[in-house]
Amino acid sequence: MTTLHILSTSPFADQRLASCLRLLSPGDGLLLCGDAVYALNPDCAPRQALELMPEQIALYALQEDLDARGLHDWPARLQVVDYPAFVALTLDYARSNSWL
Amino acid sequence: MARSMLLISRQAPWAGPAAREALDLALAGGAFDLPLSLLFLDDGVLQLTSGQQPQQLQQKDLGANLQALPLFGIEQLYASQRSLTERGLQHAELGLPVQRLDDDEVRQLLASHDLLVTL
Amino acid sequence: MSMPPLDQDGYLCNLDDWSCTVAEQLAAREDLQLSEAHWEILNLLRAFYAQFQLSPANRALVRYVAQQLGPDKGNSLYLNRLFKGTPAKLAAKLAGLPKPSNCL
Repeated sequence: MTTLHILSTSPFADQRLASCLRLLSPGDGLLLCGDAVYALNPDCAPRQALELMPEQIALYALQEDLDARGLHDWPARLQVVDYPAFVALTLDYARSNSWL
Repeated sequence: MARSMLLISRQAPWAGPAAREALDLALAGGAFDLPLSLLFLDDGVLQLTSGQQPQQLQQKDLGANLQALPLFGIEQLYASQRSLTERGLQHAELGLPVQRLDDDEVRQLLASHDLLVTL
Repeated sequence: MSMPPLDQDGYLCNLDDWSCTVAEQLAAREDLQLSEAHWEILNLLRAFYAQFQLSPANRALVRYVAQQLGPDKGNSLYLNRLFKGTPAKLAAKLAGLPKPSNCL
């Protein structure tokens, strides 16, 4: 019974990423879209936190949001997805939680 | 059997419409007898402090409205102990009879509902 | 006595305009003669609003009446009979409260 957490705001603007990281359970997924992909900027604290997540947490980001923001240096664990894959993911998990 | 919903209210009462929207969603769900729980997380716990005077901001009294939740059948009310402590509210008297949950219990709460809505 | 301003659904625009006479006038517009039993519920509704600052939807009204007056009156059958099948809407109107917003 796992959850896909969806973040869309900059990790430098609010507490959503920090709060979400604390509430992840093994088997959960974390999908970054919109400005949330800035969490993958090289050498920043949010990126470190993402790289340190337990292995059982899957990390995804939306391809076009990465491209639009010029982010190409991805952590090895990141799975880059397009919109159809995003939709498929929401069906793979028991529930999703959009951190609006 | 209706699917169970956990509503996560995580914004301060007067920061924008989010707190009000979460309450309206809870009241509407309660009016239709949906199985619904409400979790106050992050700045959302600031909705629970007593002695607020929203009329100073020409706002409706969210705190008074929140107290109607049990009458609308919303009796599963929770708050994150961590969020309360971070904001210095660990000993404060709260305006609602919420159950305080540590992070582990919040994780279990998320995993025990079919639908999650965060506002 | 003239009727204070009403909104398009017939609810009082200003809560402070309410009085027992106004309630009688509003009831007359609905072809309703207010009895003791009606007044009991209207007074309870005004207490509900004073405490919670909102008008209850049907289920909440039923629960509240049951809590305050017991199950003989806190049930849909009793309240529907008193208020022509739409207790939350009609009783709120006669008690001078805003239209319940979570009520379809």
